Amino acid sequence: MQQIASQNAPSANIVIPHFAFGSLAWLTATLFIALSPDAFTTHYFNPKLLAITHLLVLGWISMIIWGALYQLIPVILDAKLFSEQLAIFSFFTLAAGSILLCFSFWNFLLGGVLHLAATLIISAVIGFSFNIFKTAQTSRNKSIERDFILTSTLWLLFTVLSGFVFALNLKYAFLKPEHLRLLKIHAHTGLVGWFLQLIMGVASRLLPMFMVAHSLNKKKLQIAYYCINAGLLLSISSFFLNTIIDIIITAIILITGVFYFVSYLKEAYTKRVKKNFDTGMKQSVLSFVSLLLVCIISLLLLFYTHENHSPRLAIAYGSLIIIGFISSLILGQTFKTLPFIIWLKVYKKLIGKIKMPLPKELYSEKLLTIQLYLFFAGFFFLLLGIILSHHTVITLSGTLLFISALLYTINTFKIILHKPHIHEKTN
Amino acid sequence: MRKRTNEEQNIFELLKGVIDPELMINIIDLGLVYDIRHKPAEEKIEVEITLTSPGCPMGDVIIEDAKQLIENHFRNFKVEILLVWEPAWNKEMLSEAGKKALGSI
Repeated sequence: MQQIASQNAPSANIVIPHFAFGSLAWLTATLFIALSPDAFTTHYFNPKLLAITHLLVLGWISMIIWGALYQLIPVILDAKLFSEQLAIFSFFTLAAGSILLCFSFWNFLLGGVLHLAATLIISAVIGFSFNIFKTAQTSRNKSIERDFILTSTLWLLFTVLSGFVFALNLKYAFLKPEHLRLLKIHAHTGLVGWFLQLIMGVASRLLPMFMVAHSLNKKKLQIAYYCINAGLLLSISSFFLNTIIDIIITAIILITGVFYFVSYLKEAYTKRVKKNFDTGMKQSVLSFVSLLLVCIISLLLLFYTHENHSPRLAIAYGSLIIIGFISSLILGQTFKTLPFIIWLKVYKKLIGKIKMPLPKELYSEKLLTIQLYLFFAGFFFLLLGIILSHHTVITLSGTLLFISALLYTINTFKIILHKPHIHEKTN
Repeated sequence: MRKRTNEEQNIFELLKGVIDPELMINIIDLGLVYDIRHKPAEEKIEVEITLTSPGCPMGDVIIEDAKQLIENHFRNFKVEILLVWEPAWNKEMLSEAGKKALGSI
């Protein structure tokens, strides 16, 4: 009998803290958006926006992705996680590091606190990367999804190391190129190399599985993989060359990669057996609309370099990727993964002995639906507020996002704190 | 497919109580049960089951649930659930009720 994925699953106690911390970080970040609309109306290199962005990408997105990945590794790599202790170490260092980093950026403290935060984050990422590579070593799976995950981990390492150098440079200014060019490299290797590529690897496996779609053209994923990585390598060279042709070629290659990935998902969507989508899947599908908007805005940014409008477009571009695409995807996929993790933890030993609820019954569908609508309303107003440079609109957007995040957090903790309902099974 | 005995038909009906937790449809309507062999002489029941995807994280839950359910009804029998991948599952294996539940018809 072939080994099946759930037999390799790690202890739920490794995964749960990531979701708990991540949801609280999301809640805090939305509160910061509501309280500091000015962060979105000035140049993007400002302390508050740096704090909010890093809280989102490290405390919220990376935290949830790590937790989910520990659970999904058995599904994707067909292997058991190398070390649960290392996963715990990475959790605590990432949690402490992201809080400290947010604090130091908010107050623009560029000395000891920032360097301590960066050291903690680098330690967390090294621990995580080592864990993933050692796990992959024991796997015989050589799929394209595996390549996506491993390469994205390398880009994560590159991103945090470049971030650390960048943090040192803020204090000691030893690098010749200007800060903003360094920031663009750091941001793109993180957003595209780490997040987007990891999402491609995981989503290309999970979404067809949730949609029950078979016989898909994996060549599209291979093209996406090579385009994304070639584009990223070129983007680093364009950092040195800084010619418009180089930047345009980079953008075209990256967008081609995104196109092939979206085309793969569209094929899965067309061939899907499961036609009825639940709320979690609806939000996941809608998040890809943001990804297409990202491609459009990135092209606009290439040709529209008006000094007053370009930073606004850049903030809109970053918000579309971080909130519109990645956060939206996580908000939807949480309810496709976390209920199953908790359900297995609580009920696995009771299978066949009691009448069990379905994983879907561990959370409130009603709260999830309201969360979804509030999120999209809040995100729409955020983009509008950024484009119009209007504080009140951004405050409104932050308030809607905060309420949406509050509902998400309530639902997440409702799942995490679920206790078994014991009813004898009557056959 | 060979004709099922009465006992095998009973097991078939019984397995409608095993629900795929993700798709929320029973494994019979999903077409996951390929064969049921009731062997009274050996006091053994064998059930061949597949999954909609080899990576299905709920695989062992479905298998364990099916095993427990049959064991509860056939207490003197040894129940063996065999996970098979051939032929690979496809949507043609869904029953009409299964297709309807998934929104395919």
